[in-house]
Amino acid sequence: MQEKNRKRGKLFYKLLLIFLIVSLVPLGIVGYYLISLTQVTLNKAITRDQEALAVGFSDTVSNYVISFRNILYESAHLEDFYTMNMEKERSMVNHLMQVHSAFLEISVINALGEETIRMVRFSDSNKTRDFINDPVYRKVMKTGEYIGGFEKYNGTYPCITVAIQIVNPNTSYAAGMVMAKLSLNSLSGLLKTSFPDATHTQAAVIDINGFLIAHSNPEEVLKKNAKLPDEILKILLQNDAKSGGGEIPLITGERVLGAFSEVEAFGWVVYIQRSISVAYQASRDMLDKTWKVMLLVTVFVLFLGYAVSIVITQPIQALREAAIKLGEGDFNYLPDISIPNDEIGELAHTFMEMSDSLKVKTAEIIDAKEQLEKLNRSLENRVEARTRELKSAQEELIKKERLAAMGQMASVVSHEIRNPLAVINNSIYFIKTKTNAQPNPEPKIVKHIGIIESEIRQANGIIDEILSFARSRDLKPKVTNLHAYLEDLLMSYPFPQHIQLEKHFAGEHFMVNIDQDEMNQVIRNLIKNGIEVMPEVGKMIIRTEWLPDDTVRIDIEDTGPGIPKDVLDKLFTPFFTTKARGTGLGLAVVKKAIERHKGRVEIASVVGKGTCFKFALPLYKGAMPPPPPPRA
Amino acid sequence: MEKQILIIDDDANLRESLYEVLELEGFKCYQGKNAKEGIELAKKHNPEVLITDIQLPDSSGFQICQEVRKFSKEVIIIMMTGRFMSSDEKTQGFQLGADEYLTKPFDIQELSVRIRQLLSRRGK
Repeated sequence: MQEKNRKRGKLFYKLLLIFLIVSLVPLGIVGYYLISLTQVTLNKAITRDQEALAVGFSDTVSNYVISFRNILYESAHLEDFYTMNMEKERSMVNHLMQVHSAFLEISVINALGEETIRMVRFSDSNKTRDFINDPVYRKVMKTGEYIGGFEKYNGTYPCITVAIQIVNPNTSYAAGMVMAKLSLNSLSGLLKTSFPDATHTQAAVIDINGFLIAHSNPEEVLKKNAKLPDEILKILLQNDAKSGGGEIPLITGERVLGAFSEVEAFGWVVYIQRSISVAYQASRDMLDKTWKVMLLVTVFVLFLGYAVSIVITQPIQALREAAIKLGEGDFNYLPDISIPNDEIGELAHTFMEMSDSLKVKTAEIIDAKEQLEKLNRSLENRVEARTRELKSAQEELIKKERLAAMGQMASVVSHEIRNPLAVINNSIYFIKTKTNAQPNPEPKIVKHIGIIESEIRQANGIIDEILSFARSRDLKPKVTNLHAYLEDLLMSYPFPQHIQLEKHFAGEHFMVNIDQDEMNQVIRNLIKNGIEVMPEVGKMIIRTEWLPDDTVRIDIEDTGPGIPKDVLDKLFTPFFTTKARGTGLGLAVVKKAIERHKGRVEIASVVGKGTCFKFALPLYKGAMPPPPPPRA
Repeated sequence: MEKQILIIDDDANLRESLYEVLELEGFKCYQGKNAKEGIELAKKHNPEVLITDIQLPDSSGFQICQEVRKFSKEVIIIMMTGRFMSSDEKTQGFQLGADEYLTKPFDIQELSVRIRQLLSRRGK
């Protein structure tokens, strides 16, 4: 399971990474480029704006002062002034003071340098002064007017002196001058209004020496020797340009965007400064927005990547699960995917085909395995059967060997008995011949000689049986016409009178490959047995019949008493006999001979009706021997 | 003239009894108890018939057959045996010069008739 997750993750992350690189990197590069561009442009624009503002304000300042100068000028050129009508002048000055609060004090000085009228706003000091040697008076009388002389009125209020020559327009004669102290406090008010705190902008007007004339924060001006910070002053006073702007690092570490403009008429400078952070707010806002967009795009790309990788990995995962199922032998499990018309679809299709093919192959293998197992079982069974056969064959062999040993012994014994038997036979022949030669032979001796002769024959018969059972010579088979052979044999067999012989031979001729000596013994033994169980009267039936397994069956049937079932099974056992005198080898010899001919023998017997020995011999299938010479 | 029969067997009783019954049947008989003695007697009397056991202590009936045939083509040789003879053995014996086989015990009358038959066929 760990392995599975790890593999799946790999592909997933790979896809995500690819998507990020493909979509975000160009976007990032373009975005970065645009932002830098925009920021520079914006900063320039802001700086320009600020400069323009400074220029504008310098006009305002100039206009402000000029407007009051004009008022004074208009007054100075009135008839009442150049005629030096004291009364009229006084009321005019009073009027001006009342109307324009910016005038702190107004004085009228006549051509002699004597102060004729002095009106002061905040005090009643009417003490007149002598201006004959005053440089301002001299200048005005020479040039016509004077504006300047910045000072702190009463040590607090910034003000300048405006002085206008009183001229008679008809004669162009300088009749004196009107001089006013003009308060500049309003300028600070103007600045404050124009640049409220909220804008984070500070504006100031300074005179040529750097002293504050006005400030957006009026309190600043009221301070003693109020000046702008040195670093700013340095820039402003050393600059030759009439206007300009740029970033200025402050001692406090803050950076500000500064702009200045000269008020030409008075040599003043209007200075406006904004904190960089405020000034560039817009560009920063834009940057923020761009970042947000990029973040959004990233999230979107991640989502897209996830979705795409799901689309790609999901069918692969499904195929993988199917493959695992397949590996577990579940051929009917279908991957849970709608097969798309693309490479994955092809893969799925190929997978299905592989699955089908595997199914067939596995079925074949399983089939083969089952067959193999079946074969194995049958082989085991056969081995078992064969083992049983071998065991029984071995037992048979042991039995046969025992019988063979027994037969050998019997053979030796029989052979040794034959010699004395021959001697007895010879001797009894001698006695019989001698006895019969006598004129009146004793009948009992003759009878006993007969008994001895009969017993010798019996003994000899027994020996014959034992020897024929024990002998193991090679078969000498000869292709024989079965019916002709049987006819010959039956003809030569000495059937007793009370036995009726019946022959039921099949219609066709049968050729068999038999050792006639042994077959003689078989048939003679069977006939002899049949005759022996029918001592009174009986019928012997010899029958031949073709069997479908290409054998011919020969039946030798008697109408004797039949054989009980319990005896029937033991009949072919060597040395088993039911006769009073018998070796029990007759039927054993029969069985042995038939088996040597690859035939089989069986007995059917019904007690009270008779017994039928049936033995089957294989038909000869080879080339026919030359036809026997016609019999005489 | 009586026909002469030479009987060769190591069993004295059998030799004697056979001798007696064949004498009774009207033959002149000689007895040899082994091969050596038998061959000597055959050379000496040149009998018409020679009856020999196949198993002898010093040799076999077949060897007697072979020896005797070296000097007599005429003599009728009958081999006696107590055991079963295969046809191969019999054929071998015939090739060595044997004329007839006899399985013990045998019927004297039958033997007698057979001997006379064989003799008459050879024109003797």
